[in-house]
Amino acid sequence: MPQAPEVSIAAAPEGGYPVLEEGLRPAAASAPTFKHSRLQRLADRWAHLGFLICSLLVVVLIGGILYFLATRGLAAFLPLAGNTGRALSFSEVFLSADWAPSSDRFGILPFIAGSLGVTGLALLIAAPAGVLTGVFIAKMAPAWMRNLMRQVMDLLVGIPSVVYGIFGLTVVLPLVSRTWLADAPASGFAVSALILAVMIVPTIVSLSTDAFESLPAALDEGAQALGSSRWQAIWRVLIPAARPRLLTATVLGLGRAIGEAMAVQMVIGNNPQWMALMRESTDRAPFLRALFTPAATLTTELVQELPNTAAGSTWNNVLFAMGLLLYLLTMVLILATRRLGRGKEA
Amino acid sequence: MLTPTLPETKPIKLSVRDMAFSYGPKKILDGLSMDIHAERVTAIIGPSGCGKSTFLKCFNRIHEVAADVDVSGDIQIDGVDIYRGGIDVVDLRRRVGMVFQKPNPFPKSIYENVAFGPRLFGVKDRETLDGIVEDALRKAALWDEVKDRLKESASGMSGGQQQRLCIARALAVNPEVLLMDEPCSALDPIATSKIEDLISELKESLTIVIVTHNMQQAARVSDYTAFFWLGRLVEMDLTERIFTTPKVQMTEDYITGRFG
Repeated sequence: MPQAPEVSIAAAPEGGYPVLEEGLRPAAASAPTFKHSRLQRLADRWAHLGFLICSLLVVVLIGGILYFLATRGLAAFLPLAGNTGRALSFSEVFLSADWAPSSDRFGILPFIAGSLGVTGLALLIAAPAGVLTGVFIAKMAPAWMRNLMRQVMDLLVGIPSVVYGIFGLTVVLPLVSRTWLADAPASGFAVSALILAVMIVPTIVSLSTDAFESLPAALDEGAQALGSSRWQAIWRVLIPAARPRLLTATVLGLGRAIGEAMAVQMVIGNNPQWMALMRESTDRAPFLRALFTPAATLTTELVQELPNTAAGSTWNNVLFAMGLLLYLLTMVLILATRRLGRGKEA
Repeated sequence: MLTPTLPETKPIKLSVRDMAFSYGPKKILDGLSMDIHAERVTAIIGPSGCGKSTFLKCFNRIHEVAADVDVSGDIQIDGVDIYRGGIDVVDLRRRVGMVFQKPNPFPKSIYENVAFGPRLFGVKDRETLDGIVEDALRKAALWDEVKDRLKESASGMSGGQQQRLCIARALAVNPEVLLMDEPCSALDPIATSKIEDLISELKESLTIVIVTHNMQQAARVSDYTAFFWLGRLVEMDLTERIFTTPKVQMTEDYITGRFG
């Protein structure tokens, strides 16, 4: 058996280890005691309660909205109490394009397709524009322009949507119809998507600027030290590195676009029968035609019709079902954003 | 007193004449002249803020990425001025590779990190790329450790491996000069000694300029050592002489730890 090595422990110097000079010593017994007064502790407890109530209120509100939407929305399909209308089947609501409430036909497909179409188109414009502007602000613009652009973007995020709507209605629509459509009304997907894109670009720009600014400068330098041009470094290294956060930015923009009602309602033309109209048309360029056909979305239809329907009627119930659908869509988007945000850290 | 008086057989690779560097109104480097020989390791030492890193970055003009700077005087590679005469910065950076203080692998796979440079210069053929990647990883003494996980993300590697990956990435475009900016400052002693061994191997075919805070490292790996102080070159000589018989008192004071 190997011998254990002899270990010698140095003895403490006489009189103990030297103590640090004044200032680092523990407080002497005569030092004042620092203690909260009774009143302070009471205030603390009440404040705690106040915060708790406020946050609970928010939870209750959100839960309450969901409950309200769900009971009213599901009433369209279930024979619930207080339901004066008839119970519809899921397929005649979600899979039918025939919206004629006065004739008891409640297909909401045009609105779902309308919402997805407008939002998709808006994103197609806004995502590349927003991300590239973000690159420009974070990586190319001189300092004074960077500050200016950031402030402008923050301002634009705060502009009420109805203002964008007025701009679309009074400037863009007449311009488009006079320029390309020979005085036909230009309302429809194209202009709606354009207005929506303008609305969500600032959000995407702000978030992608943050994304690019938070990347370590070493990545940029490393890429360029290998002989990348400015553009190659951005395209091959910076954008891929920022991708999770860019996706988050885009999804947040998407969330804002899909829920937008005012601005879209002012320029889309509000035509629930747009799908039927499309089917009848014998145009040779159906896609282009669709861009300028007056249409409707979930949100615009809610704004248009909800005030005119009797509570508890089938019509009213279906509108609530549309509201529920929007709520769930937004929820899914928010959860997706969280997911993407987490992916960034992994 | 630009180069030490010894029968140097290697040609001059980089030459600096009366160079000054300013960033805005601030003068960072002034009156610098030195010659750097091919296939030798030249170490740059000096206290923090003396301009060593800035000096290094002048050789591949990477400082231009971050800010507008003003460089005057002459810096030549193989007798060609790299700041004038229509030299292509991209080509310059291919010939003059750089390894940074902190490992900065791209958020891509190990393979893609090394293939990044060759791809920039238009290499698309899979087999050629595979060959380049393997060769570069072997040169960086990393191949055996990663050959089975080339597709994995580089961020999963240890700091020392990441730094060797960055060296491999730089080697993949076949540079003539390798600039190393305190390449071991973020590494533990074992990873550091691996990098140091690597430097000794790489100098067979490369000109290496290394900035270091670590005096022992400079003594171990370099052939020449230059001591910088407040943006000026105080003394440059064979490493052996700098560490045994420096001519300037300040150099001796610095390497013996009396200031800095």
